[in-house]
Amino acid sequence: MSAVVRASGLVKRWGDTTALAGVSVEVGTGVTGLLGANGAGKTTLLGLVLGLHRPDEGSIEVLGLDPATAGPQVRERLGYVPEHEALTPDVRAFDLVRHLAEVHGLPSREATGRASDALWLVGLGEERQRPVGTMSTGQRQRVKLAAALAHDPALLLLDEPTNGLDPVQRDEMLGLVRRVSAELGIDVVLSSHLLEEVERTCDATVILAEGRVVASGSLAALRAGGTGLVVEVDGRAELLATHLRRTDLGVEVDGLRLVVEGPPEAGADAVRDAAAAHRVGLRRVQARTATLEDVFLAAERSCVAESHLPGLTDARTEER
Amino acid sequence: MSDARILDRGYRRYDGPRLGVAGAVRSLAWHSALRALGLRRSVWAKLLPLAAVGIAYVPATVFVGVAALLPEQLVDATGLLPGYADYYGFISAAIVLFVALVGPEVLCPDRRHRMLGLYLASPLSRDSYLVAKVLAVVPVLALVTLGPPLLLLVGFTFADAGPDGAGELLGILARIVAGGVVVAAAYTAVSLAASSLTDRRAVASAGIILVLLVSGVATGALVASGADERLLLLNLSVVPFELVQRLYGEAGQVEVSTLALVAANLAWTLAAAALLRARYHRLRITR
Repeated sequence: MSAVVRASGLVKRWGDTTALAGVSVEVGTGVTGLLGANGAGKTTLLGLVLGLHRPDEGSIEVLGLDPATAGPQVRERLGYVPEHEALTPDVRAFDLVRHLAEVHGLPSREATGRASDALWLVGLGEERQRPVGTMSTGQRQRVKLAAALAHDPALLLLDEPTNGLDPVQRDEMLGLVRRVSAELGIDVVLSSHLLEEVERTCDATVILAEGRVVASGSLAALRAGGTGLVVEVDGRAELLATHLRRTDLGVEVDGLRLVVEGPPEAGADAVRDAAAAHRVGLRRVQARTATLEDVFLAAERSCVAESHLPGLTDARTEER
Repeated sequence: MSDARILDRGYRRYDGPRLGVAGAVRSLAWHSALRALGLRRSVWAKLLPLAAVGIAYVPATVFVGVAALLPEQLVDATGLLPGYADYYGFISAAIVLFVALVGPEVLCPDRRHRMLGLYLASPLSRDSYLVAKVLAVVPVLALVTLGPPLLLLVGFTFADAGPDGAGELLGILARIVAGGVVVAAAYTAVSLAASSLTDRRAVASAGIILVLLVSGVATGALVASGADERLLLLNLSVVPFELVQRLYGEAGQVEVSTLALVAANLAWTLAAAALLRARYHRLRITR
């Protein structure tokens, strides 16, 4: 997998606050989710990718260049959709998108044609002559996407692109993001604090917590981290659970569904034997797959646990 | 068979040339200049800037008409026509109004509506962004600082009331251009610096007018009460125009050396530019 963003040991401090505390990560092709709670360091990382700030320590490479020293060359190949409203309301959508395409280096004639194409792509072809201020939140969000696409970026950075959108608009926006990657071949980094959004849209994810990468990789690889079995029965779930616990297996019961901890092979034999002995009907026995939520929560838990280690706490206190 | 065919271009990849920072600066300067004049915007946005520009040209149009219609002897005898340097006295209010409109319009909305973040996510840096803004404001202000005296020169020349011979014509032309640029440069720096302190256009406009008026009234009052004449170098509504008077070899109203006037103009322009740059380098752009 070729990396479009490669960061090593990135540290960024804002005064006494450490926004990024040694981030090392590789972002590959396709759609990559940048996942983390508010304040996890997502926006700071995007700022470093854009070359808006210099890291205090570490290095970053975007599209093979260092954005701190080759900022203009990097940024002319990046598209950026900021989290907040960022459009002058009395300018027509077409004028704005064309202007931003020119600002990204396109000759005027090309910018004119491509602004129109980008607005049609995001579904605003008929609305392109309307002032941005007269548009709905969803339409303005799509204008921002069109403005980020018109100059044909190699990498698109989306900072919370579904903020303020209703469920239908959100679906449309995420569908557009998938299309941009799948049909146009533009790599995307989607920053979000919504697990479901990343799970639906992304090929890979980077999970940030307290300025550190706590997990990263393809969604398939991250989900494979789940162990144990999911068992569905047609009754007497508690009886089966009690019997399984006697064989030293950890079991959680949720209605007619049991989650059995431990290696799937050993668990499956024990479940089969216990179900046969107590005449419990099995509907489904399946190896357990972690959801992104499981991965995220586990990563957050490990981050909190680490931050409570005495040595680490001292070190971080000194750092701040 | 018809030659008609369906053209379906659609969004496609682009592998043509990119114009880099120079293209970005040019586009932003052009976009900002149009915005300052209210072009491609609503009628209301055009009203004030175009009115200010119009007012600046009215006296020049009248003087050219006078030169063209009245007999030369009568015009000479009555001294109806002003000198090129004196012309600024007729339009200083229009210039101040225009300065108070243009700087805020060019700078404030980008911060208020967070467009600045989008610009800095392009090949533009903070410095090249400011260069583009200066390149937008100077020519727009030159519409009122340079255009009207040029109209006067052209009009007088065609009405046979202009300079005698090509040499004198070129001399006056050079002075008009230099004078227009001096006034435009000084007021560009001041209006942009004031606009960098707030993201509200109305507040910035009021601030610029206040600075120009207060510096004029305060220094005037102090000098009238016996203070050193050099205090007038702090009067922003006088200093650029005094230098223009010196360009034409006229004494003006302030009894200081031409060198001091040049230094005062430079100091005002550079100080305002430094404030502008410092403000933008301190802005934290994270989104």
